Amino acid sequence: MRSKWIQILIVILLLLFGFATYNGQQKTFKRQADIIEANAEIADADRDMLKLLDSVEQGFQVSASSWTIPNAPMAVGNYHPRLASMPPSDLSFLATGQSDMFTHFVKPTASGDDLALNFTEMTSPVQLLFGSFDIAFVVIFLLPLLIIAFSYDVLSSERESGSLRLLAAQPISLYKWLFQKLGLRFFWVAVIMTLSLTLVFLLNQVAIGSNFAAFMGFLAITLAYALFWFALAFAVNLWVGSSGKNAVALLGLWVVFVLLIPAVLNQLGGTLYPMPSRGLMINDMRAIKAEATQRQDEILDNYLRDHPEYAVNDTTQKRSFWHRYMASQQLVKKELEPILIRYERQLEKQQLLLNRFTWVSPAIVVQGSLNQMAGNGNKSYKSYREQVIAFAQEWRNHFLPMLYNNQEFRSENYAQLPKFTFQRPTYQSQSSALFVVLCSALIVLGIGALRFRIYSKKEQSLVNQ
Amino acid sequence: MIRKTIKKEIKELFRDGRVRISIFIVLLLLGVAVWISSRQYQNTNQDYAAARLSEREVWDNQGEKNPHSAAHYGTYAFKPKYPLSLVDQGVDKYAGTSIFLEAHKRNEAQFSAATDQTGLSRFGDLTPDFILLFIMPLFIVLLGYNSFTKERELGTHSLLKSAGARGWKIVLGKWIALFLPVLAITTSLLLLAGIVLSNLPDYGVFQWSSLVAMGLVYLLYYAVFTNLVLWVSHWAKRSGISLVVSLSLWIVACLAAPKAASNIAEARHPYPTRQEFAANVLKDKEAGLDGHNPWNKEAKLLEEQVLAEHGVDSLHQLPFNFNAYRMQKGEEHEAEVYFKQYNYLKEQYQKQSGTYRSLALLSPFLPARFLSMGIAHTDYATHWDFSDAAENYRIATQKFLNDNTAQNTKYGERGYKASADFWKQLPAFDYDPPGLDKVLENNSSNLMILGMWTVLSFILLFISTKKI
Repeated sequence: MRSKWIQILIVILLLLFGFATYNGQQKTFKRQADIIEANAEIADADRDMLKLLDSVEQGFQVSASSWTIPNAPMAVGNYHPRLASMPPSDLSFLATGQSDMFTHFVKPTASGDDLALNFTEMTSPVQLLFGSFDIAFVVIFLLPLLIIAFSYDVLSSERESGSLRLLAAQPISLYKWLFQKLGLRFFWVAVIMTLSLTLVFLLNQVAIGSNFAAFMGFLAITLAYALFWFALAFAVNLWVGSSGKNAVALLGLWVVFVLLIPAVLNQLGGTLYPMPSRGLMINDMRAIKAEATQRQDEILDNYLRDHPEYAVNDTTQKRSFWHRYMASQQLVKKELEPILIRYERQLEKQQLLLNRFTWVSPAIVVQGSLNQMAGNGNKSYKSYREQVIAFAQEWRNHFLPMLYNNQEFRSENYAQLPKFTFQRPTYQSQSSALFVVLCSALIVLGIGALRFRIYSKKEQSLVNQ
Repeated sequence: MIRKTIKKEIKELFRDGRVRISIFIVLLLLGVAVWISSRQYQNTNQDYAAARLSEREVWDNQGEKNPHSAAHYGTYAFKPKYPLSLVDQGVDKYAGTSIFLEAHKRNEAQFSAATDQTGLSRFGDLTPDFILLFIMPLFIVLLGYNSFTKERELGTHSLLKSAGARGWKIVLGKWIALFLPVLAITTSLLLLAGIVLSNLPDYGVFQWSSLVAMGLVYLLYYAVFTNLVLWVSHWAKRSGISLVVSLSLWIVACLAAPKAASNIAEARHPYPTRQEFAANVLKDKEAGLDGHNPWNKEAKLLEEQVLAEHGVDSLHQLPFNFNAYRMQKGEEHEAEVYFKQYNYLKEQYQKQSGTYRSLALLSPFLPARFLSMGIAHTDYATHWDFSDAAENYRIATQKFLNDNTAQNTKYGERGYKASADFWKQLPAFDYDPPGLDKVLENNSSNLMILGMWTVLSFILLFISTKKI
């Protein structure tokens, strides 16, 4: 009996882990390829730009539209942006997280406003609705079901087939017998999982060696999660009763921990800290912009008053559309900041609420942990957004002095153009998550053991249930 | 015999503690889900109405301004929510809710709700469709997995046979007994939803026919599961095996197949990235008509054509402002570029739908999901439809603005400002989703697949239980 279910388990786990890892790696490779291609495009465009600039500097007539000619700093700032990209981490395949919703490379322009930076990627919303078949899905959703299938009737089947009385007559306590039996099953599951994961990762070119600490962390939390479910099977076997009732109880618990608690918590977050209406934000934004457009000349004068160095450096004092526009834009950005910050604040509050109650369900803890290991969680994308907006400001600030001093952009200025490098948050050890899951497993084991304490004198009742 | 079987089965079901608890839990969850959904629905609609009004006011009160400046200032089209979205949220969470309509550019819908939530949002929401699609089939599995195996295990199998019961009568009795609680819960939920919706102030037109259609889709979906669970129960030797196999069917159908399908569909028929899309649009634009630049080839051709038409040899002699006219033509040409690129996306999505259809062989969940979303107007097709309607409105708005300039100025004139009353004349953006018959027509393949699942599962069940 044992060898048969071990065989089935091995095959099922290999298939599931294999498909999930392959899937995940394909996405990672595509993401890398997209970034490489985007960089190549920019390199080509830069070459063309330098050629054009060279022609203009030598006095030739060119056929490009007048406002795109790269001797104007705004033309370079707007038509030759840099790539601000977030490359995938080595373990990105572990959990899709939010990586299917957001883009991984943006090209911020000098005159674009930060609100116009669209961080969402072009994906079919049906794909977002259904989600991804990744390792996180296999571990969080499917692994518990496998464990339940192999352990829901360990005690009850013996009772129902009548052999429990024989066991009870043996010198080992039933409670210890159950603990050992489930413990052995857990051991086999742990071994098979570790081996199959390692094999599958190696087959799919995962860089285990250079990410050894993270890989160990991943194994640890996955095994802790499996331990939690074996603990639940232990407790239910002791507390509940017939095979049928055990099955219903364990499945019910699965629904509660994996489906219901996350849904309820999400709902709670949205109800307690609802996002302000984006529709109304749009209205506020446009009212501010309309006002700024009407006061453009006044705003420009104020801006120049704040930056007297421009008046000193440029004797021509020519003022064009861009001078007025960029000054207004800076003002609009400042006035919009409090409105935009409200959204970030509400999201942070939701996230804090979630962090406080994440321990209620190990499924949530493991998902969060895997998302972080993969670098595809909310934290990474928030950090990316912040870094891109900071770079956009840096890019803009590079051109503003040239604009207001009415300087031309020259070929030698090319080398000084700002570049973007993504600062990945350093790998955080997942030990707190591991601790929470292990504690949950221990608590459940304790609840199981409680039954033994309560009925220890009447061990016969376990037999007769 | 059938009626006796039904009575017996239902008595047994209700005697069982697990059944009473499960029914109670399902009803509780449904109640909570409907309450949450209806509050959200009302909030979203209030938001929508307020935003729409506010945006129109901003547009109307632009004061004296050059029409082309107004074109660049733009306006917004907001996506309404429809009554049945209370039952099935579909892809609304992931599709944007507002589109910015400006000159020379077609934008995507922005601000999808999912981007404003934490990572927990990917687990799913406590909405009626979550319960109807995931929990109810599980409920069927839990109630029916031992329908036949218990007869064998309790020894009542021989009792049944000795009562002279014919195979199909017993099966039908068990089927009805299993399906009755499911039918009761589903009908009461939909009735409740119908009552709630018909009492809300009329933001969207609520139709009972759509609700009934949706109800039928779910009932077919549950019939398929009932058939499969009973068939597994009959085939399995022990209750334990029956439970595990039925559960595996549930997992494959509702969890694994949709995810695998979406990954495979995306891998085989990928969407371009946003940057790629923008680059393709730019390439097409450069090869085509450019509204501002008078040196473009097509513009020259247009110039010659119009001059010939009016029999004059200089743009100054035309009775209207040629610059504005050419800008409109440029706008229309650019819109064609966008339609072409978006059509490519639609084609990719059609191919992806093909993948979903082939994987529907493994899962009745897939066709049921698509049908339910379609009827509730929360599917991807409705979103496309809305985007296209917004785009047509954008082009019409540009025409409204450019025609005004063309009629009221002469070629080369600068500094024209339209009067402050002009903006009010622009008709409002009104969007109506396709009716129920159109939706069913568009989803005919899904309807067929679900129908096939129903018929084949019935055949499977009744043939295999000919001899009990």
